[in-house]
Amino acid sequence: MVVLRAGMCPGLDEDLVRDLRAADVKTVEDLVSCNLEELAQRCSVSYKALFAVRRVLLAQHSAFPVSGADLYEELLSSTAILSTGNPSLDKLLDSGLYTGEITELSGGPGSGKSQVCFGVAVHVSQQLKQNVIYVDTTGGFTASRLLQMLQTETSDKEEQMAALQRIRVFRVFDVFSLLDCLFGLCSDGLQQASVGGGSVKAVIVDSVSAVVAPLLGGKHNEGMSLMSQVAGVLRTMAKDFNVAALVTNYVTRSSSGELQPGLGVSWSHIPRTRILLERLEEGTTAASSAAATADVSRSSLRSATLIKSSRQPCLIREEFDLQWWSRSKDQKTSGLKRKREEDSDS
Amino acid sequence: MQRAVSTFPLSSGVKLKLLSAGFRFAGDLQHVSPPKLSHEAGLSQQEALEALQVVTGGGAVASFTAMELLQMEAESRNIVTFSSQLDSALGGGVPVGKTTEICGTPGIGKTQLCLQLAVDVQVPPCFGGIEGHVIFVDTEGSFVLQRVIDIAAAAVTHCSLLAEDDEQRGAMATFTVETILSNIFLVRCHDYVELLAELHLLPDFLSDHPRTRLLVIDSVARPFRGFDDLSQRTRLLQGLAQQLVTLATRHDLAVVITNQMTTRVRGSQSQLVPALGESWGHASTIRLLLQWSGSRRLATVVKSPRHMDATVQYQISTDGFRDADQSDER
Repeated sequence: MVVLRAGMCPGLDEDLVRDLRAADVKTVEDLVSCNLEELAQRCSVSYKALFAVRRVLLAQHSAFPVSGADLYEELLSSTAILSTGNPSLDKLLDSGLYTGEITELSGGPGSGKSQVCFGVAVHVSQQLKQNVIYVDTTGGFTASRLLQMLQTETSDKEEQMAALQRIRVFRVFDVFSLLDCLFGLCSDGLQQASVGGGSVKAVIVDSVSAVVAPLLGGKHNEGMSLMSQVAGVLRTMAKDFNVAALVTNYVTRSSSGELQPGLGVSWSHIPRTRILLERLEEGTTAASSAAATADVSRSSLRSATLIKSSRQPCLIREEFDLQWWSRSKDQKTSGLKRKREEDSDS
Repeated sequence: MQRAVSTFPLSSGVKLKLLSAGFRFAGDLQHVSPPKLSHEAGLSQQEALEALQVVTGGGAVASFTAMELLQMEAESRNIVTFSSQLDSALGGGVPVGKTTEICGTPGIGKTQLCLQLAVDVQVPPCFGGIEGHVIFVDTEGSFVLQRVIDIAAAAVTHCSLLAEDDEQRGAMATFTVETILSNIFLVRCHDYVELLAELHLLPDFLSDHPRTRLLVIDSVARPFRGFDDLSQRTRLLQGLAQQLVTLATRHDLAVVITNQMTTRVRGSQSQLVPALGESWGHASTIRLLLQWSGSRRLATVVKSPRHMDATVQYQISTDGFRDADQSDER
């Protein structure tokens, strides 16, 4: 809570603050939680004056109730659903990334987390004409890959450039810089970034675990507190500024050998929706026969499993191709048609 | 939203004193003078001043638009591997400013590729090189000087055969085996403490040697294998990975690390996988897997944000890392 300062509210003057400090009451929290009668006696001030001060402070620092109807009204007017550009992922996400929520992608190395992030950034910037903030903590951000994806969306050079201009990249490699960056965005950055027209609708953090994992494990407790701070600021940002937050996470293997998202149980409450990405290994077990893996070109097919959602039944599984974002529009529509036909056949 | 004091990079002692004096948020420290803070929180003048500087000064993180990064990427260079097939699979070679991991079984040529890169990074610009210096961190004792001389001599001969105009002939005067050797800085680390300490000192070394373009760690696996406390190991490795990314980005370095292979048993099946565990797989931006296929050596790009997975064949000759001869294929 906030430190008591003279002039914070009527009746709280220099002398009173000094007296309170002498009685070991330093913050608003201390004042509202102590026994006022006792305090009044110890500081020899009137109980009434203290009571008045406490009332004003409580009013200043409390939250206001909002009626459900108002909330719903606001939700309808402010929530947007950002398509990821990939129909399979959209299906899992119930048509896309919701603003005001944190969505998580987890997966092993090379499972396509960054590729999905790139695809989302390109789609939101190019198709929806919204600004995107991309926080890169692994050094994996590759603008030329984004350009490749854009080139399949539009052949207009200026449009491609404009789309790239709408993506703002922060490169931070430790948790303190990440917090600096996120708090900076909260205090002014999100508005600033939107000066160029359009508002920021998506914040992508690839990846959260890269900066948080070095602090966890062993006998160090500070990591947990910093992780919850990162979670808190992400959540505030998503809610207060109405942006869709997309974060990526590593995976660990449970004792039974099953893949599960990293960062432990306390993080698992943070994202509203979680998706697990995996490579689709075709047939042969890799590396057991090197010849086989060498001859079969490694496929770009991935599977995505919904493991946490408040809207859809969990454990739905979809398969998709990372090449999707590299395909031209015609290929996409024909691909879709084929898929639909297959669906109707079955 | 109020930013908590605990989210700033302050020592835990200072944080504790600030918290117990009631300063929990950055806003609480907004209009406090250093002497007042030192008095109220029981900090020394110096500590109070530093804490205020950290809390009120932090927050500015540089950002770029994707457009600017695209231009920077277009200007950044790659280190050629002297294997044209591998170069094209990697999009022109090992990229500067990124981290690349090379995994493979013993004897497959990980160190050979590292030595080759240590020579190749010094190729003069008129031959398409980037003329950079090298830091070679050797943890396995596998840096064999005689091999470096062989590879360097082959590279010098190769370039002198290519030299056509005066500029290239002029460049050859300084591109000799001696200069190549003098621009390789070898650091021998025996255990993980030495390796981590070296990485903490590297930023200073890099400021003194701004022309360094390549950092090789061969291998990162050996000091970290046979670790008792696995969660501690993961923590250290994750920190190391972030340090390497920071070095690569800040100092415009290509970071190349090698990793050993290990056997993972799942049920009745066993599989050869890169060592150091699942989470280490995220450490590098690009992952290259070297493996045998009968008598052929194959290099596979298993992870890259920019390129599709690809497999190419290569060979290790006296001259170094080269494309496989088309004639003796299969």
